[in-house]
Amino acid sequence: MLPLPPIRYLAPKRLRDALELLEQGGRGRTAPDGDGAQRRGPVLPIAGGTDLVPNLKHRLLDVELLVDLTRIEEPHLRGVREVAGHLHVGALTSLAAAAADPLLRQRHPTLAGAYRQIGSPQLRNMGTVGGNLCLDTRCTYFNQTAFWRAALGHCLKRKGTTCHVVPGARGCVAACSSDGAALLTALGAEARVEGVAGDRWIPVESLLQSEGRRHLALLPGELVTELRVPAAPPGRRAAYEKLRMREAIDFPVLSVAAVADLAPGGACRSLRVVVSALSARPRVVTGLGDLVEGRPLDDAALERVAAQAYRQCHPLANMTADPAWRRAMVPVLVRRALRRAMEAR
Amino acid sequence: MKESVRFVVNGDPVEVLVEPGATLLECLRQDLGLTGSKQGCDKGDCGACTVLLDGRAVLACLVLARSVEGRRVTTVEGLAEAGRLHPLQEAFDTQGAAQCGFCTPGMLMSACALIEENDQPSRQDVREALSGNLCRCTGYTKILDAVVKAAGEVHQARAAPKGGGKP
Amino acid sequence: MTGRRPVGPAGPGPGSGEGAAFSVIGKRNRKVDGRRKVTGQSIFTDDLQPARLLHGKILRSPHAHARIRSIDTRRAAAHPGVHAVITGRDLPVAYGIIPWTRDEYPLAIDKVLYVGDGVAAVAADDERTAEAALALIEIDYQVLPAVLTVEDALAHPENQVNTFSAKGNVSKQVRLTFGDVEGGLAGAEVVVEDTWFHAGSTHAAIEPHCAVGDLGADGILTVHSSTQVPHYLHRELSRVLELPIDRIRVIQPAVGGGFGGKSEPFDLEFAVAKLSCLTGRPVKILYTREEVFAAHRGRHPMLMTYQVGARRDGMLTAVKARILIDGGAHSSFGLVTTYYSGQLLGAPYRLPAYEFDSTRVFTNKPSCGPKRGHGSVQPRFAFECALDMLAERVALDPIELRRRNVLGADTRTVNEFRVTSNGFLECLAGVERASGWKEKFRQLPFGRGVGVAGSTYISGTNYPIYPNEMPQSAVQLKVDRSGRVTVFAGVSDIGQGCDSVLAYIVAEELGVALDSIRVVTADTDLTPVDLGAYSSRITFMAGNAAIAACAGVKRRIQDAMAQAWSVPPGQVRLADGFATAPGTPSHAVPIAEAFQAAEARFGTLGGVGSYNTPKDVHGSYRGATIGASPAYSFSAHVAEVEVDDQTGQVRVKKIWVAHDCGRALNPMLVEGQMEGSAAMGFGEALFEEQPYDERGLHRGPSLLDYPLATTLDTPELESIIVESGDREGPYGAKEAGEGPLHPSIPAIANAIHDAVGVRLTRLPFLPPRVLAALETRRQAGLSWKGRR
Ligand SMILES: Cc1cc2nc3c(=O)[nH]c(=O)nc-3n(C[C@H](O)[C@H](O)[C@H](O)COP(=O)(O)OP(=O)(O)OC[C@H]3O[C@@H](n4cnc5c(N)ncnc54)[C@H](O)[C@@H]3O)c2cc1C
Ligand code: SF4
Ligand code: FES
Ligand code: FES
Repeated sequence: MLPLPPIRYLAPKRLRDALELLEQGGRGRTAPDGDGAQRRGPVLPIAGGTDLVPNLKHRLLDVELLVDLTRIEEPHLRGVREVAGHLHVGALTSLAAAAADPLLRQRHPTLAGAYRQIGSPQLRNMGTVGGNLCLDTRCTYFNQTAFWRAALGHCLKRKGTTCHVVPGARGCVAACSSDGAALLTALGAEARVEGVAGDRWIPVESLLQSEGRRHLALLPGELVTELRVPAAPPGRRAAYEKLRMREAIDFPVLSVAAVADLAPGGACRSLRVVVSALSARPRVVTGLGDLVEGRPLDDAALERVAAQAYRQCHPLANMTADPAWRRAMVPVLVRRALRRAMEAR
Repeated sequence: MKESVRFVVNGDPVEVLVEPGATLLECLRQDLGLTGSKQGCDKGDCGACTVLLDGRAVLACLVLARSVEGRRVTTVEGLAEAGRLHPLQEAFDTQGAAQCGFCTPGMLMSACALIEENDQPSRQDVREALSGNLCRCTGYTKILDAVVKAAGEVHQARAAPKGGGKP
Repeated sequence: MTGRRPVGPAGPGPGSGEGAAFSVIGKRNRKVDGRRKVTGQSIFTDDLQPARLLHGKILRSPHAHARIRSIDTRRAAAHPGVHAVITGRDLPVAYGIIPWTRDEYPLAIDKVLYVGDGVAAVAADDERTAEAALALIEIDYQVLPAVLTVEDALAHPENQVNTFSAKGNVSKQVRLTFGDVEGGLAGAEVVVEDTWFHAGSTHAAIEPHCAVGDLGADGILTVHSSTQVPHYLHRELSRVLELPIDRIRVIQPAVGGGFGGKSEPFDLEFAVAKLSCLTGRPVKILYTREEVFAAHRGRHPMLMTYQVGARRDGMLTAVKARILIDGGAHSSFGLVTTYYSGQLLGAPYRLPAYEFDSTRVFTNKPSCGPKRGHGSVQPRFAFECALDMLAERVALDPIELRRRNVLGADTRTVNEFRVTSNGFLECLAGVERASGWKEKFRQLPFGRGVGVAGSTYISGTNYPIYPNEMPQSAVQLKVDRSGRVTVFAGVSDIGQGCDSVLAYIVAEELGVALDSIRVVTADTDLTPVDLGAYSSRITFMAGNAAIAACAGVKRRIQDAMAQAWSVPPGQVRLADGFATAPGTPSHAVPIAEAFQAAEARFGTLGGVGSYNTPKDVHGSYRGATIGASPAYSFSAHVAEVEVDDQTGQVRVKKIWVAHDCGRALNPMLVEGQMEGSAAMGFGEALFEEQPYDERGLHRGPSLLDYPLATTLDTPELESIIVESGDREGPYGAKEAGEGPLHPSIPAIANAIHDAVGVRLTRLPFLPPRVLAALETRRQAGLSWKGRR
């Protein structure tokens, strides 16, 4: 058995209560308890727990109090709705529910498909869309038991002073391993962030940060409560390619999301390609406008985009899968994603 | 400090005192003596601990016991009704789908969740539904056979007029 | 989809029903423990929760190689909730599964030999407390240079890993030559030579190891363990704990998969025993998944160079092998492994001359041991790939090449093993036909291909691990006037179904309905000795013992009924729950009445039977006994693959698995073994690898990082049972549990070659390796199936 550390657990029904608990914890203040006892320590939100529980069992983070979000009753945290043409997905929506949601499947089939490729059926029943976006970064030197990490020597991400992936690095380059993150970035989705102090929408692209230790631009005590995926214009073509060892369970060792918007004649109006499972933040491939805009996405264009992605993406040894091979797979996946996107609909 | 959690397991309401850090799997196995659910990794990688939570397959090793307050848990012990094996259990037994039997409870629960939703699954549907349950003994062939067979029986029973057919 | 294609009449073999129809044997019967398994009622070791149970944990070394300067357990012992703490000094007797190589301690004494080596153990109120107490144990280590590769181990004998070793870091070396190898190679018209590497693999049974020790007030120590060798565990517990063996009882509850990973004693069994002796309370230790990886005893990495000589017509002339074996920290079964790496290649082909030179070395990594297909899966991979290369060189269909070289039945191998029944030709024909080989080989488009491979395996080892003349297996029967028969046997059911096989045999022999049979196994207080679940021995050996045990009982029942009916005893038939005298319809009574008649006449009914191997089945050279078996199984597979030449990913679409098991006592169970074996080989071919870093740390000791194939990865498997009927097997049966693993790997390798024209020599066939091989081919400007 891998026992969890001693914790306290609360499951508030109101978002406000959850935010207050988190805010107090975030400031290192006393987290109140039913028995009125005074305790100190980190307070963390838990949704499906499929990321947090293994991480706690591995002793990857300190926690004093877990705030279970799944009892929160505010409706905007659950389900898929359409508001002014945009799709809103509540953070507590399970991956399985999102993958099967008729509205999501109709408007953004690629996103529903990406959710369907996550983990296993059980993990998709438990895991949430919000938890998936906030998924901690992963690293082969970090996502291990306490015994293992002690045997190796601790790293920057916790307790240590060096990075085993990039010795001498100042930051942590653990990989963004969320299948949702890359595609949401490519789709230009936004996240609603709520805290005691207020409520804001920020693009997923800026929510996700490049430092593996703090990969979310959230203030202490803030939660992601919903996602907004902007309406797809006519002529939308999208695809998601996930490279992994096994056909189920495994996290991506590389992933590519491609979203193209075509003019009625077939010329490309805009193209976004996002490559992930590199380091902490999904990589938005830049400089594509000049390469493809105003032109059809033909084989030659695909090659230009693939080459551009290859130049910009450098997988690291933060997972056991060979980084040189993963790099070689960047253009392969980009081509496949674009082809698949062009074939869709 | 232990805290109380109340939920329904296999139809029976229970109240258990658990550590806040106890998982549902620990609670089932150690506190309730329901040792049918197995532990193969204790961190979400193998599926041996699969149980149904409000009818959906989940990994009991990743569920906090406290979080199932008021909810409905079904374990392998709850599959047979009044001593009569569930068609899935019967099919696992007659098709040779259980070798060592350690993955079997988890497999059965995943398969049960599938059949509840879709009693005419293709072999590929079954593969998908069981893709989070590792088996080291069988190569899965006989497990897939058994689920397809059981689904067929459940489908027939459901299609049959009330009172006829097996449950 | 499964097909069953028996060839010819199954040979006689011991057991009744010669020529007659069987009632139970050969039928798709339920397993005796099936209904318990599907309801969660089967009790596995971790399901035991005796009153007053304490929980133990083992402190493990973070270093691959270090001297222990001192251990201070005082703070741990004083921790609230801790009941006992032990270290290596509390169990100072060296043990080892092979009596000649006792080179490990339950807990390290002076030196730790790998990351994860146990150094101390704690018993506490619960696991959390035990874990907290471990953190309070202070150990002063002097770190030593870690020896992590075979090359390093041989180059630096002064950095000795295992101090029991007589010779630097060499664990065992075997060199055997049969026939004129040099002449055979010199005279060959074609010689294929290459080097292959099998990276090793681990069992990864889904049930982690678990043991519960309980010293009773009567002074009897009971150890429940998830072992597959209760008898050997029993002996070693007695030796190490220095307790008389009759004071110890070993019970094996249901075991959640073994595959060889539970076939020797482990630290947890000694620890729970000792901790229970110290506390007077039951103590349980359950390994974490990470500890299972440290316990290992899995497949040895082997670096293998083969020279295979042949004539233009494909007839083999000589085979020469040089094999380097990475053994890890201890000997384990390594002496046997080293022999097996060469000795088990003598079939299914006729080798006119053969030599192997195998060296096993110690390294500072978890110890390797026997995994399903012990010692012979790696050489089989190399050799069957070499045969494929040879077929290409002499322009023969690879199935035809194999056919030409078949060894045949009732003969001896080049290394003098006696071979009895042999259904290898039928296996080849079976997969050739079922797979549509002739339409596929070299004819599928680029990227798709088929490959074939064959193999053989033992049905039990001819000799026990410790030399003795006693039976290898025994069965005791209690025959009850209620019509019930209880079968007592030492066998270990680890999922393969041997408890059921015994029930089928006894039901067949005594005419009892299956539901009237109870099987009591693997409890050293209750059951006669069987050596355990290894080397695919149980069906053959315990099966014969069961038939023997039934014989006397059956005769008495027949005599009693013969007297009652005034017919000759030979006319009394026991079958399907009745005693009858065929031809006289009035002569039919329920079997219970027949039992009662026999009990009235002869007194309480019961029987014992045992099995021991014939001794004339091998040569007389040194080592000739190792690898000898009373009978050999044969297998052939065809695999069909799809290779993505952009990513290097390989998908195996289907494997056709043909296996000569002698006779299928229950075809459903035989198919289960064939499918499970083929799937396990498939996983080794594509996914499984255990990389260690430069400090000897396993890079991914979890079921996430060590990827077991899921339902979505595993190919479709089609079983073709071949029944050659062995004259010494029970009803003609041989083994089915290990043989059908072997051909999976080379069949896949050969199929990859057929698909894209590259020969992969290094396992596993991970996408980067496949892609690199394709790239090399491309750069050489070679084309395949019309593609560059
Ligand atoms: C074996 C295994 C395989 C997996 N495979 C994949 C895979 O292939 N692809 C993939 O993407 N994921 C995978 N996962 C990870 C995980 O299951 C999913 O990403 C899941 O969606 C996480 O959601 P959750 O609700 O369970 O997150 P939790 O574990 O509850 O939370 C994850 C993190 O986010 C924080 N958090 C949760 N909700 C919020 C919120 N609303 N606002 C702010 N912070 C929040 C938590 O504090 C925690 O740090 C796998 C996990 C396992 C164990
Ligand atoms: S990337 Fe470096 S710092 Fe981050 S988790 Fe991995 S080893 Fe630690
Ligand atoms: S024990 Fe829960 S997934 Fe393995
Ligand atoms: S039957 Fe043994 S793990 Fe599935």
